[in-house]
Amino acid sequence: MRGLAMRGRLNAGLVAGGALVAVVVLAALVSFVWTPYDPTLVDAAAKLHEPGGGHLLGADKFGRDTLSQLMVGARTTLYVGIVAVGIAALLGTPLGVLAGMTPRGWLSELVMRVNDLVFAFPALLLAVMLGAVYGAGTLTAMIAIGVATVPAFARVARAATLQVMVTDYVLAARAAGRRGGAVALRHVLPNISSVLIVQASVSFAIAILAEAALSFLGFGTRPPTPSWGRMLQESQELLFSTPRLALWPGLAVALAVLGFNLLGDGLRDFLDPKLRRIRADG
Amino acid sequence: MPTHAGTPRAENPGEPLIEARGLSRVYRRPRTSLLRPGAAVHALRDVSLTVGRGERYGIVGESGSGKSTLLRLLCALDRPTAGTIAFDGRPVTGRPERDLRFLRENLQIVFQDPMSSLDPRMRVRDLVAEPLVALGLPVGGRVAELLDAVGLPAGAADRYPHQFSGGQRQRIAIARALAPRPKALVADEPVSALDVSVRGQILNLLADLVDELGLTLVFVSHDLSVVRHVCETVAVMHHGEIVESGPVDEVWAAPAHPYTRALLEAVPTLEDLT
Amino acid sequence: MLTVDGLTVDGLGVRAGDTELVREVSFSIGPGERVGLIGESGSGKSLTALSLMGLLPEGVTATGRATLAGRDLIGVPESRLKRLRGRDLSMVFQEPMTALNPLMRVGAQVAEVMTLHGRGRREARARAVELLERVRLPEPEQLARAYPHQLSGGQRQRVMLAIALANEPALLICDEPTTALDVTVQKRMLDLIAEVAPALLFITHDLAVVAAVCERVLVMYGGRVVESGPIREVFTRPRHRYTEGLLAASRLTPRGTRLPTISGSVPAAGHFPGGCVFGNRCPHADALCETVPALTGEGHAHACRHPAG
Repeated sequence: MRGLAMRGRLNAGLVAGGALVAVVVLAALVSFVWTPYDPTLVDAAAKLHEPGGGHLLGADKFGRDTLSQLMVGARTTLYVGIVAVGIAALLGTPLGVLAGMTPRGWLSELVMRVNDLVFAFPALLLAVMLGAVYGAGTLTAMIAIGVATVPAFARVARAATLQVMVTDYVLAARAAGRRGGAVALRHVLPNISSVLIVQASVSFAIAILAEAALSFLGFGTRPPTPSWGRMLQESQELLFSTPRLALWPGLAVALAVLGFNLLGDGLRDFLDPKLRRIRADG
Repeated sequence: MPTHAGTPRAENPGEPLIEARGLSRVYRRPRTSLLRPGAAVHALRDVSLTVGRGERYGIVGESGSGKSTLLRLLCALDRPTAGTIAFDGRPVTGRPERDLRFLRENLQIVFQDPMSSLDPRMRVRDLVAEPLVALGLPVGGRVAELLDAVGLPAGAADRYPHQFSGGQRQRIAIARALAPRPKALVADEPVSALDVSVRGQILNLLADLVDELGLTLVFVSHDLSVVRHVCETVAVMHHGEIVESGPVDEVWAAPAHPYTRALLEAVPTLEDLT
Repeated sequence: MLTVDGLTVDGLGVRAGDTELVREVSFSIGPGERVGLIGESGSGKSLTALSLMGLLPEGVTATGRATLAGRDLIGVPESRLKRLRGRDLSMVFQEPMTALNPLMRVGAQVAEVMTLHGRGRREARARAVELLERVRLPEPEQLARAYPHQLSGGQRQRVMLAIALANEPALLICDEPTTALDVTVQKRMLDLIAEVAPALLFITHDLAVVAAVCERVLVMYGGRVVESGPIREVFTRPRHRYTEGLLAASRLTPRGTRLPTISGSVPAAGHFPGGCVFGNRCPHADALCETVPALTGEGHAHACRHPAG
């Protein structure tokens, strides 16, 4: 893409983050058509199978193949991230833009105060509470994580909107006869999109971590659906005898979180408008 | 006395098009104490002016003189604390945005810095067409027509603002302002951010367009010599007030207010060398 | 030709990767001399100044030779430049707000540049007040205790000038020091700079401003010096066609007349024509101009094959 190529140079963080994220996405996609074993297949013969010999990363105490579980677990991870970030972005962005476009209005004040309230409430506690009321499950966890991430989006969107609203081009659009809604859609959203993309990738990392933590605590993904957090939980009792059972999902979570964080940072630099001021001609 | 640039072709020349009476604008600084409200800043104090049809009206002032505030009020981008504005005989002040269509169609603005006044994420085509789209007017072949009128190739329509030089960007801003065929153009320091070698091109272009289209021009500048080249009437602003106004050549030759004299003396010129 | 005092620049070039931004710039400034460097955006005037200060942005390098009072300025290690900067040569930038630390009192900022270069704390503080007085700031004692945001733009720029003069440099470089100021403030600032500068390199796009401050002028375009000489001569009898066009464009003719213009626009960096850099905009350009014209002439020099006058 010529447009993108002009915007900035690829940086190491972007490439590394992109690669890590690509591995997770690829694993999840491949798991739909192929996994070495059925990830939920209990096989007494393979109980605590060492890595190698048909089980590349070994098997757990029920003889379930670790690699297969990781691959299908990637699906859960991405699913959770996408839905949680989707909820946060869809609710948080309009609220933030609205608050940013009417900085002195009561609506803006209300939005930001409610935001503070949610912000002050620990996300995990919210998820545990929702789980207790509506039953623990992947969907409950996702919704809780998503709702808890709304304020982060709203804040970032509001701050970016405030910056855009004082530019001459917004003034020029108003002078041209544009009303509030059109200004938001045509000028504000496109110009805050890069900030939102960065926020989304960082939120994605947080969502992955939150899902793992919730599943570990038993408030997230229910068995038998494989999830990295649950794999960690199940490996607990064997932590000293068979540490690799904790190592693989732990590594997966760490690398996925690192990947999304690096991607976020990389995108921030990549989309930096200051690096975009390259004139193509005289 | 220098000749007027062409004959204004506006209908009923001389009749007032923009009338401002007793405009004041007070801003409140953000409060620094819980008990006391923020300090009041009087950006504009009791300013009145009349711009006739087809007139080129200059407003001169330094930063903090209130000229930008006045401009925003004239364009209904801000509301005065006191006073009224009428455009083409119709009141502007106190109307909601949806009742300002007559103003938006007929009064357009060109900003100082064409880099910041053109949305970097929009193509030139959409930028130039924006006033038409916003007002629900047909776009048709108007973009190509306008680009041609300001001396830009038709191919410019598909590119982004950052792909142009400062002078070219200001041409884009002018094309955009002319899109809805306005009666009046407000130009806020339109050449201050430009290189000297292109400043003349933009001033010539503005003069041509104003002549051809019979536009009324409100031209704001910190530089009285630029205003003298462009306008026939001038108002000098200082500390939120108009301290002197009249035919620009008279003000130039015999400034009545001490501030105008100080302003004239302060501007460095090349004249002493020749 | 080796001037022991003052600044001598010989064959200065600045490049970013494959793009040559400044080429073959040579000039000298004697003690007490005030030289203007005129150019529009993209002319390379600011890069020329920054390369003398050793402050070029990353990825941009300078070649050639420049000496100040016999000391090399180009191609020397950063540690040596650090000792020169702020002591032997100093610079005033366009934006006084961003150049001052918002959390530090202005007196302390003036004193800091002196303690950095080895002066005692108490002496520096006393001298800071003197310097603020020298740049004609009212009530310097009180003003030294103010923070930058409490001062006006013009006052801040005077503080910058005081900082620049603190260590009695041999050369003062000013890059558009009055562009962000109001005209009524500008005039007094220009007079002050002309008065206090030991030797001055004054960079601006504004010809009238140069005329108010400098004795000699260098006209830059497309990274080259296209004309140089005493200001009166260059401005009244320009030889290079670019200077001629620029001067014509700077004089505002009476209303109703067309302004003389230079056709086209300034090319982006690296897109200037080979040969004469002004070739693609010059009404007199022909085949001769496809080779680079040398800067020739004693005193009033120009690099043009078809000079005016």
